[in-house]
This record gives sequence, structure tokens and C-alpha cells, in this order.
Amino acid sequence: MNYLELLKLAAPEAVVAVTALVVLALGLARGRVAGICSAAAAAGLLFAMAAVVMLPPNATLFGGMHVITPLTSLFKTICLTLAFFTVILARSDRSARNQGEYLALLLLATIGLMLLVGSEELLMIFIGLELTGLSLYVMAGFDKTDPRSAEAGLKYFLFGSTASAFTLFGLSLVYGMCGTTGLAAIGGKLDAIPVQPLLAAGIVMTLIGFAFKIAAAPFHLWAPDAYQGAPVASAAFIASGSKVASFVVLGKIVLVGFAPAQGSAAWHGLIAGWAPVLAALAALSIVVGNLVALAQSNVRRLLAYSAVAHAGYTLLGLVAGGRDGFGATLFYTTVYAFTLVGAFGVVALVRRETGGDDLTHFRALRSRSPLLAGCMAIFMLSLAGLPPLAGFFGKFYLFSAALRTGANHGLLWLVALALFGSLISLYYYLAVLKAIFVEEPSPATTQLLNDPRPTRTSPSSDFLERISLAVLALVVLFLGVLPGGLVTLIVGALP
Amino acid sequence: MVTLGQYLIVSGLLFTIGFAGVLLRRNIIIIFMSLELMLNAANLSLVAFSRFRLGVDGMPNYNAQVFVFFIITVAAAEVAVGLAIIVALYRARQTTHVEDINSLKF
Repeated sequence: MNYLELLKLAAPEAVVAVTALVVLALGLARGRVAGICSAAAAAGLLFAMAAVVMLPPNATLFGGMHVITPLTSLFKTICLTLAFFTVILARSDRSARNQGEYLALLLLATIGLMLLVGSEELLMIFIGLELTGLSLYVMAGFDKTDPRSAEAGLKYFLFGSTASAFTLFGLSLVYGMCGTTGLAAIGGKLDAIPVQPLLAAGIVMTLIGFAFKIAAAPFHLWAPDAYQGAPVASAAFIASGSKVASFVVLGKIVLVGFAPAQGSAAWHGLIAGWAPVLAALAALSIVVGNLVALAQSNVRRLLAYSAVAHAGYTLLGLVAGGRDGFGATLFYTTVYAFTLVGAFGVVALVRRETGGDDLTHFRALRSRSPLLAGCMAIFMLSLAGLPPLAGFFGKFYLFSAALRTGANHGLLWLVALALFGSLISLYYYLAVLKAIFVEEPSPATTQLLNDPRPTRTSPSSDFLERISLAVLALVVLFLGVLPGGLVTLIVGALP
Repeated sequence: MVTLGQYLIVSGLLFTIGFAGVLLRRNIIIIFMSLELMLNAANLSLVAFSRFRLGVDGMPNYNAQVFVFFIITVAAAEVAVGLAIIVALYRARQTTHVEDINSLKF
């Protein structure tokens, strides 16, 4: 193993790291460099995607610290794509100064996600989590003109660091009981030794830490504030990229590392293990997320509480376990991430036009911009899980995977709860669409729109954003009509 | 002779004190210090495990000690980011008390 070979296998991460430094340097130049920085960042991400394609199909470095499999390559590409769309979104934030620094942080967070996805070793997972987390905390608090941004950053930081401390302490106990930091080796050890109280504590604390990261109730309290207060692009990336990578690594930890301690969450056959813990988190998330979302009047906050509910649905696949369940979880979280980036993109453009993101600001969007209204309709209906959109197939796949596990449809209670939750969720998603398509504009908004202020940018300048939103909407529609491609890709990549 | 159990008890205590501080204290700086305490609890237990769980060759498992160095470094980075966010918040609000930070709520 020489360094050249290492560089070859870590080429995508290296490309993104170099791009981050270049963007940072470009941002220092005087004058209007925001456009150049965005172009450089986007180009770097495209190069990194090409580098992912060039990777060998299978390789393992340093005992699992850096693993290349079809699965990791697929999810690296997905993380890079999400970052790419976020870069485009970040252009529309007119309050963002120091665009170079912002994009450099975004790229650093992307490296963290890639390390997280491509590692099967506790130390590297911790480093990836922290690199992602620290970059995202700063991104959440980046808008210095808005005091709510700093508040969102602080809350995200405090909750996120507490979560990391929990994960770390849990991992230290797991390490102590197993004497190794590789996930596969931990799985082998757990098979051989009985689960002791200390080990159980370690597993539960690790899960609590990840529950914070994926915003599962009751550890979701940071999410609404971070989604609402942070700059829109940061919120979009926190909600999409960070979540996808967290689910991938959580799935790897529980299904590879802790596999022998799975237990069962079946209604009549409860067996102690991590599955009942995740099932409880899922059930609570579905109930809390959906019920609290009903009462929201701010679209970003509404999306945050719905994110809590969706974390609950996604956990269903992990509770079910096995290839089927993990595949369903991965498919659902991918679809969800693309949908949410799109929804936040619409929010960003509405916010730029009207100066806010409450439901009242969305009123009569159909007459102002039919394209945005149509895209938002697709995103919302996909989140609600209506056919023929991707959200419907994702939920169908998840629920059927959960039903098939175990004898006697043991997880039926959880699936029934999830179905009930989706039914409730239809109400608040349709409330957004009602504001867009049915309600008349509020007088304040009309006045604002008729008053051509100098800060308002011309419609032509957000041409790229609109195109990318249309692309995302088409992706969501396409994955709903023809989900087979991505499913085959994911299931084929699973070990 | 201090045993592994005793080290783990101290580590658990440190973690509990840290978490209690995060939950109960109202000053952000103190909350921040409590967070660091939680990380150091993990450090202590990692080093203790490394020292007491000897391998077949009688050597400690050095993985955990390397892990600790990384945690120390990451904790330093976390301090930098955290203090920067606190300063940004202080400039906007002139306060470091969590009760005053309530513009975003249900």
C-alpha cells in the first residue's frame, strides 16, 4: 500500500477537498466573485462524481476505514448530487455574503458525508460525523444579518454536540466490550459473547446519538428551529444530505455491527435488542411529527415536523432488518432527500420574492409562477405518498418489507400506525397546496410584489434555480413511475 | 491498584455530570464546558479499556489510544466552532442565557 494507491482510492474525497480550498481562495478575491465560486464548486462536484465512477468496484483500506463497494459508490454519487443541487440553491440566497466561505463549508460537509458513507470502522465514522456536523453548524448560523440564523446555529450545535457525545460514549463502551473498532469484527464478537448490561448501554447510547442526527422523536427538538432559522440552502442540506448519510451509516452499524443483538419488535414476540428501541423511536416519531405538523403556519417548520414523521417511516425498514428492509430504507431516504431539496428550493425562491416563508407568503403562487406551483405540488404530493409519485412507491416498498418480516405479520402494528400517520399528513401537505392554488394573495404580499424594490432581482437571474427545480420534480415523478432502476441498483449493491 | 471497574465508574460519573450540566445550566458557556466533560468521559473509558484489555501478546490495544488523540483534536475544533457561534449570537442578542434565546418556537 503506497500513497499513490491511497490517493487513487480516495480520489473523489480528494477532488472535493481541493475544490473546497480553491473555492475558499477564490472567495477572498475582491469584487463580485459569488458566481465564479458557485461555478467552481459545481464543477468540482461534477469532477468528483466522475472520480467515483472511475473507482474500482471493490476495495478495502486499513481494515475497513475506507471501503469501496458498489453501495458506497452509489451513495457517494447521491451525496455529491445533493450537494450539487444545494450549490445551485445557495445562489438564490441574497443575504449570503462571503459566498466562497459558505461553499467551502458545504464542500467540507460533503467530504464528511462521503467518509461516513464509505467507512465500516468506528473511528472513521466518528470523524465523518464530526466533519459533517461542524461544517453544518457553521452553515446554519451563517447569515449574520438575521439573528434567527445564529439562534438556529446555536441550537443545532448544542443538540448535535450532545448527540455526538452520546454516540462517542456508546461507541467507547462497545469498543471496550468487543476490543475492536471494525464493524464486521464487532458483529463477530457479539455473536460469541452474551449481551452484558454495559454493552446494552453502549448500544442504546449509540442509537440515541443517531436518533438526534436523523431527528427522530423525542430527540427532534433541534430540527424545527434549525430548518426555520438557518439559511434555506443550509436547511436543505441538513435535511437531505446529512440525513441520507446518517441512515446509511446507522443501517450499517445496526445491521452489520450489532446484527446479533437485533431482537424483535413483533407485537406478541418482543425480544430485547435494538429493534424494539428503533421501533419505539419510529412509532413516537410518526405520532409526534404528524400531529405537531398539523398546527404549523410556517412552511419550513411544517417541513421540519414532517421530516420527523418521515424519519419514523424510514426507521421501519431498519426495524424489519435484512436486505429487503435495508434496501427499502435506502430507497426511501434517497427519494425523500431529493424531494426535500426541491421543496426547500421552492421555499427559497418564494422567500426571495416575498421576504418570508409562512403559508400566507405562498398564497396565489400559481398565478405568480405556475412552474414553481407545479413543482411544489409534485413535491408535496410525493411527501404525502400519493401515486404515481416516488413517495408512494417508497412507502409501499417500506411497508411491504416490514410486513414480510417475521412470522404472523408481527410488525403490523407499526405499519398500521405509519399508514394512519400518512393519512394525517395528507391534511397539512394539502394545506400548503391550498394556499398555493386556491387562496387569494394577502394584501401585504400583493403590495410587496407590486413595489419594485431595488433589492429584488430580476426573474431571469434565477433561471438556473428554476431549471434545477423542474429537474428535481421530474426525478421525483420518474422514480415514482419507474422505480425499478434505482431499486435494482440499491438491492444489487447490498452485500 | 485501580481496577477497570473503578475507571469506568469515574468515566460514567463524568458523563452524567456533563449531561446534567447540559440539561440544567442556563449559561451557554457553562453548557459548552459540560459538553467537553462528556467527550472527556469517553476518552477516559477508551484509555482504560485499552490499558486493561491486553491482547494475546500482552500489549495494550492501541486503536483506542489513537482514537483518543482524534477525539481531543475534534474537541478542539468543536470549541472553535462553538465559541464562534456563541460570539455571533452575542453580537445579535447581547446575551449568553438560554432563556433569552427564544425567537424560534412552536
